[in-house]
Amino acid sequence: MSRAGARFGAVALPLSGVAAVVVVWEVASRLAANATLVPPPLTVWRAFAAMQGSDLPADIGASLLHLAIGYGLGVGAGLALALVAASSRALEAIVDPFVEFLRPISPIAWIPLAILLFGVGRAVPVFLIFYASMFPIFVATLDGIRRVDARLIHAARSLGASRRLVVTRVVLPAALPSVIAGARLSLGVAWMSLVAGEIVGGDAGIGWRILWYQEFFQMDRVMAAILIVGVLGLGADLLLRALQHLARRWNPAAAESAA
Amino acid sequence: MEKPLDELVRLQGVGMVYQSSRDGERVEALAGIDFSVRRGEFLTVVGPSGCGKSTLLSLIAGFAAPTSGSVLFEGRPVDGPDPARGVMFQEYALFPWRTVAGNVEFGPFARGVDAATRRARAQTLIDLVGLKGFERRYPHELSGGMRQRCALARMLANEPTLWLMDEPLAAVDLQTRIILQDELLRLWGDARAGAQRPTVMFVTHGIDEAVLLADRILVLGRRPGRIKEVLEVDLPRPRAALRGSAEVARLTAHLWELIRDEAAQAIAEETQ
Ligand SMILES: Nc1ncnc2c1ncn2[C@@H]1O[C@H](COP(=O)(O)OP(=O)(O)OP(=O)(O)O)[C@@H](O)[C@H]1O
Ligand SMILES: [Mg+2]
Repeated sequence: MSRAGARFGAVALPLSGVAAVVVVWEVASRLAANATLVPPPLTVWRAFAAMQGSDLPADIGASLLHLAIGYGLGVGAGLALALVAASSRALEAIVDPFVEFLRPISPIAWIPLAILLFGVGRAVPVFLIFYASMFPIFVATLDGIRRVDARLIHAARSLGASRRLVVTRVVLPAALPSVIAGARLSLGVAWMSLVAGEIVGGDAGIGWRILWYQEFFQMDRVMAAILIVGVLGLGADLLLRALQHLARRWNPAAAESAA
Repeated sequence: MEKPLDELVRLQGVGMVYQSSRDGERVEALAGIDFSVRRGEFLTVVGPSGCGKSTLLSLIAGFAAPTSGSVLFEGRPVDGPDPARGVMFQEYALFPWRTVAGNVEFGPFARGVDAATRRARAQTLIDLVGLKGFERRYPHELSGGMRQRCALARMLANEPTLWLMDEPLAAVDLQTRIILQDELLRLWGDARAGAQRPTVMFVTHGIDEAVLLADRILVLGRRPGRIKEVLEVDLPRPRAALRGSAEVARLTAHLWELIRDEAAQAIAEETQ
């Protein structure tokens, strides 16, 4: 395919997919006995438009705040733990079992405990996001550090670099693509935990609002809110993808395989 | 002041045994190496694949410690890498996230040289190795020969006393190799008779290259790696003029006699 053709395909193919989904959705809601339970796309669109004047900006703001705090802390902690584990075999032997034990436990399992500890409110989704986003970046960073080419480290050492300089100027840049890939994975699970945490234990945010609308039986708004969750998540991922692309500008092969 | 030692590097009973962490298998890479590298000489190191040439260099560079014997540099035991011992690797080992200029500046940067001085020095070296105009390129944007020039400039930026070079020209095409050989000799000071030159330890598989460049040739044998022979190359310098001469051809043939059988053995074992 030509370059322009490829670019056209990159936009047209997803768009036609979206169009197909909208058509199926429309048909399904017509076939369904109850248009309130399964609101058609146009109704959802109107609900979305009507929500603009309501609490929607505040809800989105609350969710983004939950995400910023929880994800920031989680990614920071995961990175720090990975650096600690990478610094010595002994420390890795201490940290790793904890991570391997906690990692498979769904963040949702912690919700009851989090509610008891923090009470219903912001702290529950923040804690869940923190917890969920810690592991993917930990695993990816540690793996990235382990796979740094030993020759680069040797080269730096023989050029006079101290151990600290080797870490900051060789190990971290070399592992950066893995770190960002891990940050993307973390963002995905963070976003899922955000909705779960807000619905079950939160008192604000777009996820919490889904439950609110459901209690008022406004299925069109429930659907609109779900779509907003999806779009925001996609936007955040695109941001990190752009970052990933930037970090790999010195290695076009890696950038292509990541796209 | 103390008179500088005649020998820059001294290897005393050096042996190296690798122990695989996976299956615990032991590989004896070097055994009983007694040898001195003279200050200012161009020493080439040849020997069949797997005889421990890279191991020898990495012991002198300080990347690993010998399992027996001792390695002395300027009379002191080697304990870790040092900018006085510059290294060039076969696979370039350039920092892919740094430009040509960024790579060349790394050594002075790591040693705390101020920005203006290290920029100027990097630019001088970049011009010297013929990379002018490519300062802002990343390694992946360069040809193999250009990458190797960059690696050379990076090593030279620290003005090391000893140049440890592990098959630096193995990955470039023949024409590039000839050009780079000449440039390497020029940078080392091939034409400056009687001058105090840096000391070079140059590993190569090219036996003609080994003869053309060297003051002395260290011939290693295998299983375990040990010294088989040390050949003096009493040919006049500059050497570029001797390329293809009868003297070089004669010495190359002699060198080939020395290593032919073991080279064939190494290939036979590798293809098993
Ligand atoms: N890190 C290592 N762990 C285990 N064995 C090793 C290691 N490095 C080298 N060896 C083994 O030691 C022996 C010598 O290896 P070395 O790389 O020094 O040889 P070489 O002469 O440089 O070979 P080549 O000409 O192929 O580069 C080989 O048998 C090799 O398999
Ligand atoms: Mg080797």
